[in-house]
Amino acid sequence: MLSVNHIVKQYASHRALDDVSLTVEQGKIFGLLGPNGAGKTSLIRIITQITAPDSGEVIFNGKRLNSDHIAQIGYLPEERGLYKKMEIGEQVLYLAKLKGLSTAEATKRIKYWFEKLEMGSWWNKKVEDLSKGMQQKVQFVATVMHTPELIILDEPFSGFDPVNADIIKNEILELNRQGSTFIFSTHRMESVEELCDHIALIHQSKKILDGSVEAIKQEYRNNTYWVEYEGTLQPAETPFDIRETEQHKNMTRIKVQLKPGQTANELLSVLLPQVAIHRLDEVIPTMNDIFIEKVKQKN
Amino acid sequence: MNKILLIIQREYLSRVKKKSFIVMTLLTPIIIAGFYGVAIYFSIQGISGTSNKIAVVSENKTLLEKLPSSKNRNYQYVDQSLKEMKSSLKNGSYDYVLYLPDFDLNHPEGIQLLGNKQAGLTLSSKISDDIEELIRNQKLKTSGIAQEELDKLKTSVDIDTKKISDTGKEEDSSAGASTIIAYVSGILMFMFIMLYGVQVMRGVIEEKTNRIIEVMISSVKPFQLMMGKIIGIALVGLTQFVLWIVLTASISTVAMKMLVNDKDLKESAMQASVQAKKMPSAQVAAANTPGIGNIQKSLANLELTKIISVFIFFFIGGYLFYSALYAAIGSAVDSETETQQFMFPVMMPLLFGYILSLSVITNDPYGPMAFWLSIIPFTSPIAMMVRLPYGVPDWQLMLSMGLMVIGFVGTVWVASRIYRVGILMYGKKASFKEMIKWFAYKN
Repeated sequence: MLSVNHIVKQYASHRALDDVSLTVEQGKIFGLLGPNGAGKTSLIRIITQITAPDSGEVIFNGKRLNSDHIAQIGYLPEERGLYKKMEIGEQVLYLAKLKGLSTAEATKRIKYWFEKLEMGSWWNKKVEDLSKGMQQKVQFVATVMHTPELIILDEPFSGFDPVNADIIKNEILELNRQGSTFIFSTHRMESVEELCDHIALIHQSKKILDGSVEAIKQEYRNNTYWVEYEGTLQPAETPFDIRETEQHKNMTRIKVQLKPGQTANELLSVLLPQVAIHRLDEVIPTMNDIFIEKVKQKN
Repeated sequence: MNKILLIIQREYLSRVKKKSFIVMTLLTPIIIAGFYGVAIYFSIQGISGTSNKIAVVSENKTLLEKLPSSKNRNYQYVDQSLKEMKSSLKNGSYDYVLYLPDFDLNHPEGIQLLGNKQAGLTLSSKISDDIEELIRNQKLKTSGIAQEELDKLKTSVDIDTKKISDTGKEEDSSAGASTIIAYVSGILMFMFIMLYGVQVMRGVIEEKTNRIIEVMISSVKPFQLMMGKIIGIALVGLTQFVLWIVLTASISTVAMKMLVNDKDLKESAMQASVQAKKMPSAQVAAANTPGIGNIQKSLANLELTKIISVFIFFFIGGYLFYSALYAAIGSAVDSETETQQFMFPVMMPLLFGYILSLSVITNDPYGPMAFWLSIIPFTSPIAMMVRLPYGVPDWQLMLSMGLMVIGFVGTVWVASRIYRVGILMYGKKASFKEMIKWFAYKN
């Protein structure tokens, strides 16, 4: 539904985005990752039409991005806030009307969301009377209440306690099931693994990794296994790299890296005659590992 | 367009509903009316009220006449010595004791005014006027001029100023009326621009520090947000001003009715003019009192509709011109404490225009300084309003208004370019160099 083609954005002496292209498919949750200052926010600001690219284009549902699309995009920025002196209900209503909803429609939807997220009694409260977590909830509602096709969330979980973070996560998944597409920018890799279908990694203004979470994880497997056993293993007779060894009473745990072409079956056939195997797991790299490895590589 | 209206609505309502707005709007007229009420009350009381009983101890042998008593100065000649009178001051039978020693008429020295309390400036100068007149009359008499001749010498002069208009018609004009209008409109203009221009800046800084700005501009264009804020606050300002004027007028009318009845007022005006005729030397009274009628007449003669419409034009034009600059400043900083270095250069021309208008233009409303100040958009809102009551050629007015329009379109354009970049810059120390760079950014 959204494709970003060869975007370049230059600030005075600093190139924020250098020929970045990516495609977000309808109904997916797309993770936009990258260390601080990589250019994520610059890219999001171009998609939300806050700034324009120097060159390149953004295509939204087959059309070049234009001001008609504003109502179809919901954006929760990382730097977010509310008018402190305004009442919550009035404030969300204002933001919804700016997105093009009528007063009646907006009121109906706010009521629905406030009910759903247990915020019913907040309507007449002032923002300054709410805790930070409560304010985040209000902002989340303001972002999604005009049921945009594309919802962009920048660090949506910062400031939430685990209970509320879970509530918001479930709302994201439900909206996703109902057809909303998400772009999700974060540093918290565990939430990426839980939520995202597809990721792109931006580092130093360039895209350095792009693909489905499944495929990337597969690609970054390096034939490493955890083995737990009882008994004694003769290291001389094992033709594998043992990377780590841990001893718990009479249980031993080793991390083994196989050579290219070798399989888990071969590993087992070597081990079986020697020790009693309790467990064998393949080490699948976490997104966190991949992220760190990729970024370090580039530096 | 619809979005700008929404923004205007929010900016307007959120301010008008504030407690501080309501309190300020209600309190200011009460304070102003109270202030005027007290001033009027005392000025009337001052003329007709407190009478000072003054015992005169005269050892003078050349002064044949006695000091004539008047409403608040009751002179009573006593035959006691100064020493005796000092003690009678203490028991309160007199307010003051005036001692006239035996002086030479050409060198009146040693005159003393004693009292339990310090005599006010007005009272002591009135008394010295009385003595001066007495001495002058004495001198004139000794030089052989008859009393009738003396009476004839007292004339009160009241200049009736008329301006020949372009059509050759004589119009009543009054430097007094023009000056009053010039001052009032100059001050109002300055206050409005300062007060509400700064509010625009505060509003922008608030949005930035609250971090709502990025949420907002993913829905609206920065230009819409800026203009919405500027217009919304202008309406707040106009609302407050209109309320102030209406409330002040009604409160003062009611208060006037309660404090003084019409008879008192007429009486005091009569008295003032009688006194003025009696004492040609009392300059202030002579200049003011007979003029009041003239000022009222000329106020009616000044083209009030023209003045009001031009006032509204420059009110809005000047406000737009400056508030756009204030918006740009607000967008460039993270907190109000950082605004100082930018505020100064923006305030300078305004302050400069204000001071020069009220000093130079009111003295020389047709000079080159008046012309240039009222043409250049930085100072024209104030300077033109100050000049207008004295009469400004149409072509100059047109030129000034035209430049004002170009001026505010220009500042709004420049400011919006700085604003759109500035509002997204957090924690960056802004400088003029930086702002020029922002101005040059493409979208």
